[in-house]
This record gives sequence, C-alpha cells and structure tokens, in this order.
Amino acid sequence: MARLELQGICKGFDEPVLDRITLTVEEGQFFVLVGPSGIGKTTLLRCVAGLERLDAGRVLVDDRDITDLKPYHRNVAMTFESYALYPHLTVFENIASPLKARRTDPAEIKRRVGSVAELLRIDHLLDRRPHEVSGGQKQRTALGRTLVARPDVFLLDEPISHLDAKIRHELRRQFHQLEDLRRVATVYVTHDYAEALSLGDRIAVMGHGGLEQVGTARELFEQPATLFVARHLGQPSINEIACALEGDGDGLMARARGADLRVPVAPRHRQGLAAVNGTPVTLGIRPQHLRVLPPDTTPDGVPGEGGADAGLPVIEARVEIFEALGAIGVLLAEAGGVSLTALTSPDAHFEPGQPVRLGMETGAFHYFSRETGQNLHL
Amino acid sequence: MGETNFRVVRIVLLAFLAVWLLFTLFPLYFMLVTSLKPVEEINRMVPTFWPESFRPGNYAGIFADPGSLKSLIDSLIVSFSNTALSLFLGTLAGYALARWMRGAVGENLAFFILSNRMFPPVAILIPMFFLFDATPWGTDSYISLILLYLVFNMPLATWLMMVFFRDTPRELEEAAYLDGYTPLRAFFKVTLPLVLPGMISVAMLCWIFAWNEYLFANLLTGSNVKTFPVHIPTFTLGSQTLWNLVMAFSLVAMIPPVTLFIILRRYMVRGLSLGVVKG
Repeated sequence: MARLELQGICKGFDEPVLDRITLTVEEGQFFVLVGPSGIGKTTLLRCVAGLERLDAGRVLVDDRDITDLKPYHRNVAMTFESYALYPHLTVFENIASPLKARRTDPAEIKRRVGSVAELLRIDHLLDRRPHEVSGGQKQRTALGRTLVARPDVFLLDEPISHLDAKIRHELRRQFHQLEDLRRVATVYVTHDYAEALSLGDRIAVMGHGGLEQVGTARELFEQPATLFVARHLGQPSINEIACALEGDGDGLMARARGADLRVPVAPRHRQGLAAVNGTPVTLGIRPQHLRVLPPDTTPDGVPGEGGADAGLPVIEARVEIFEALGAIGVLLAEAGGVSLTALTSPDAHFEPGQPVRLGMETGAFHYFSRETGQNLHL
Repeated sequence: MGETNFRVVRIVLLAFLAVWLLFTLFPLYFMLVTSLKPVEEINRMVPTFWPESFRPGNYAGIFADPGSLKSLIDSLIVSFSNTALSLFLGTLAGYALARWMRGAVGENLAFFILSNRMFPPVAILIPMFFLFDATPWGTDSYISLILLYLVFNMPLATWLMMVFFRDTPRELEEAAYLDGYTPLRAFFKVTLPLVLPGMISVAMLCWIFAWNEYLFANLLTGSNVKTFPVHIPTFTLGSQTLWNLVMAFSLVAMIPPVTLFIILRRYMVRGLSLGVVKG
C-alpha cells in the first residue's frame, strides 16, 4: 500500500525528454500514462524504477524520498515491453525470482507462485521455459513476476500492446479484476488511447516533454485541455477546422479559413472566446456531435417540438464516403469546402454525392488557440 | 532450381569435402601407421603405407621414460590453470567493456587489448624470458608459463566475452535489479548462464592454445617443468629421431583435446554462432 509522488522530474539524453513532470498516484489508483511512441513514457517509468538517474526532481513513495535508492532497494516492480523473461529459467523460476532475491523460504515461494499462477491461469505452464509458451502467456508470466513481489508501486510498460486482439481483451479484463493491482499505486503505460480510457482511474496524456492533461477518462474526453489531447482521444478522431472568429455578441461565428463554412458559437462559449476575437483558432468537432438529420429538416432547424435534435444549427453537406463499421457508421461529408467526419448508425445508407443535413451540437464543440493549442474556454 | 541441379551441387560439395578430408586425415593416418612400425621401417626411402610388422609395444615404450607421463601432466596443469585464469579475467573484463564502456574509449580499449594478440610472438620472446627470469619463481616454473600464456589468451577471451555480453539484452539484468538482485547477484543469476555456451567455446580455444604451445615453453622451461610439445623431440637414439615413438606420443597427446572437444562440441557450436545471429 503506497502512494507515489513525482516532483519536477527532468531527464534528458541528447535532448530533453522529460521536462519538470509532477504528478501524484494515490494508493490504490490505476494511473494510465498515454501518449504517442517515443515521447518518453518508458523513460518516465525507468526513472521511477531507478534504472535511469534523474537530471532533476524527486521520486517519493509514501513521502519517503527514494530518488537516490538503487532499483533493488526500491520495492518497485516493473514489467518490460519486451517482457524480459529469463530465457534459461522456467516459468515457475521466473515468477519466483523476486522471492528468491529476498531469500524467501522455499515452501512459501511455492505457495505464493502457485497462487499467482492460478490467478493468471498459467499454473499448468510452470515447468515450461519462456520460449515454449505463447505471447499472452509470456505476458502473464511477466505480470506474475511483478505481482508475486507485493511491491509498493507497479509499473506496467505497454503490457498488452504486442498481443493479438482476443488476448488483449482478455488481459484487459483481467487488469480490471486483479485485486493486487487495485490495492497499490499502479502506473500503466500505453500508446493505445482506447486502452487508456478503459483502464485508467486517472489518465495522463503525455506530449513532448511533459504532461498535456491529467484527469479521468470523462474529463479528458469532454474537456480536453489542449488540441493534442482532443486529437488523440476518441475514435474516429476529432474534426479539426482552422477558423477565424468574426461578429460579436449573439452573432459570434467561427468561419473556416479558405472555405465557406460558418459555425455559430454556442452561448456557453461566447464569453471565453470574445476575448480572442479576431485571432486564429482551431475548431474541434467530435464526430458524434455532428448528427445526420432526416431529409425533411429545413435549413433553419429541426421541425416539430422537443426531440433530441431540436433547435440544432444545421449545415448542408454532401456525402463523400460512408463506412459501416459494425457497431457504428462513419460518414465523411463535405460542407462548404471542409471535410467533416460524422458518426451515424451503421444501418444507415448513403451514396457518394448525396446531399445530407448535419445538425451541430455546438455546445460540445471545442475551440483551441492556434498558437498554443490550449483550449480557449476551459 | 530443379531437382537435378540440386543433386549436382550436392555431389560437387561432397567431392570437395572428400578431397579436404583426404588432406586432413592422411597425416593422421600416417602418424598412426608410423607409430606402429619398428625402428628399421621408419626411415625407408620408399615409405611403407602399411606396416610390414606391427609394434604396438611402441606405446608402452614411450612411457618407459618417466618424463613422458610427467610432461603430459605438466601440460594439463599449465593448460587448465591458464584457461581458468583467462576465462575469469576475460569474462570480467569483457563484461565491463560490454556494459560500462560503450563509448569511443571502450571501443579503443577493447581493440587495444585484442591487438596484443596480433604481434608476432617471436618479437617478445627474449623480453619475456628476461622478465620472468627476474621473478622470484624464475622462468622454469608452472606459474611463469601460466602467466605468459595470458598474453595471448586473455585478449582473445576478453574480446569474445565482450561480444557475447553485448548480445545479451540489458533488460534482463534490469528486470533482475527490480526483482531485488544486486548487480553482482543479477550477473550470476541472469547474465552468466546466458553466456555459458560462449564461455565454453572461449575455454576450448584458450585451452588448445595453451596445450599446443611450443615456442615459449621450449625457451622458458625444460627441467622443472616440461610440457609435452617440448618433450616430443627427446625421443632420439644417438643422432637418429625415433619417429615411431614421436608419432605414438603425439597421438597419445591428442587424446585430451579430442575428448574435450567431443564432450563440449554441442556447446561449442552454439557458442561460436552466438554472436553471429541476433535472436
């Protein structure tokens, strides 16, 4: 049981990789660190594990400063992206390794390895060597090796990224259920945003050098602090439209640059955006916030009273591509010279070139500064 | 490629192999028949390729000289001690070079160590003699010969072990650190077992060098210590070399290396290919 705290961690190799990273992982929290490849996620884990020396900053576990402790004195367990199983040892010996290091009694080792292996459903493989088991089983072995140690902090580096879809789902479910992982501070690294949203109690999105935003899945999705976060979370990804703001008061509009698309700014955004009127912004529209309206709608809005679509501003568009992807349909449409992605039901049918009307949930749109990428109305 | 073409290639390769075997095995065959010939038969101008009369007693004869057995024992002492020392030092040095000196300094140092093996041994023959003559134990001792062979074997062992260590993933050691092993324990638990096949190959190469070495052994030693290559030329009668005894003794001296090679062959092949393919 422990709480992990990072204070102003800096680490660079030839150029800075981590720049003043500060974050806290509470006891029992499943903290997911997500970001594109090569951004320094693994480096951050290695810093916590003690495999890299920090250029600056401190690592604390339960307010105990472990910055200068050697990795073998930290009681921090880590799985490696490559699994790093000892090829000359059996699955049993691999899992037992941390206990052997602590010179645990052999009977106790047997009991604990047995229970961990049972939990991970690899108890029938204990006599095999790593090259004799499948990728998913290797991953479980690596996980078993960290679980058995009962560390203060768990560091999991892309634990399921290299497995095929079916095993990924199974292991993902297992991560949800593993009590041991739910009791200590866990930092889970992945480049897969869906995995991050599904697993994390709290999620940190990592960009170049630092953390773009830290929050729950819902916060990150609904209130992305930067364009970077908005761009990487969500499938299909967010529509980005380069805009300039014009008009004022109730008439405040975002006009797409070099195109004939005008989007009215929702009342809740007007105040924040009035201050930056005239400067270039990026309008972010999630595909699910563009509704394909029935053909009988008028350009002024949806007829009839009530209904989910009532009162939405409408734009005219022309279908470019429609993809039915099983659970959802993805519509690519062109409106006023801008390509937009919208989410539909999968059983809809669209022909290329067909005119459609899109209802815009402008209240859920995001406006980002073109210069800094910051969300302008948070 | 057609079935026939494949066959032709196979036959050509087998023919090459046959010729090659002829060249390598004939000397061995001639050693064997010579070792079984009586003295009168060994110096014929037209040699016999099959002994006219067999003298298996030659093999007993070589051990009539008590120096014969002692020379084999001396050789074993020197070669095994030197191999152990070369391997110990080479493994530690190779590990240090592979893990902690990856920069230009390390590269140059490693190459410098290897280059020690490249100059002609004769060049240091005399200096080495005086060097060991100045030691308390003198030239004619086990320890001198054992240390001297380090000049040749340690660079080889260091270089090869460095290559083997470079091929073992560092992450395995890091995983061991996180398991709670100190660097020394991690080294013995994880790294060393992985380079063991390589170590066995290195041991064989060092051992064979020390076993067969003649030049330095002949100059430095001779009375207290006498390795078998130095003992071989002593099978003479007046001015006549007793080739049958020389050959018999040489064949006996081949038994240890051949036995070792057969026992360790499996590991050796693995070790020699260890650095070749990443995998």
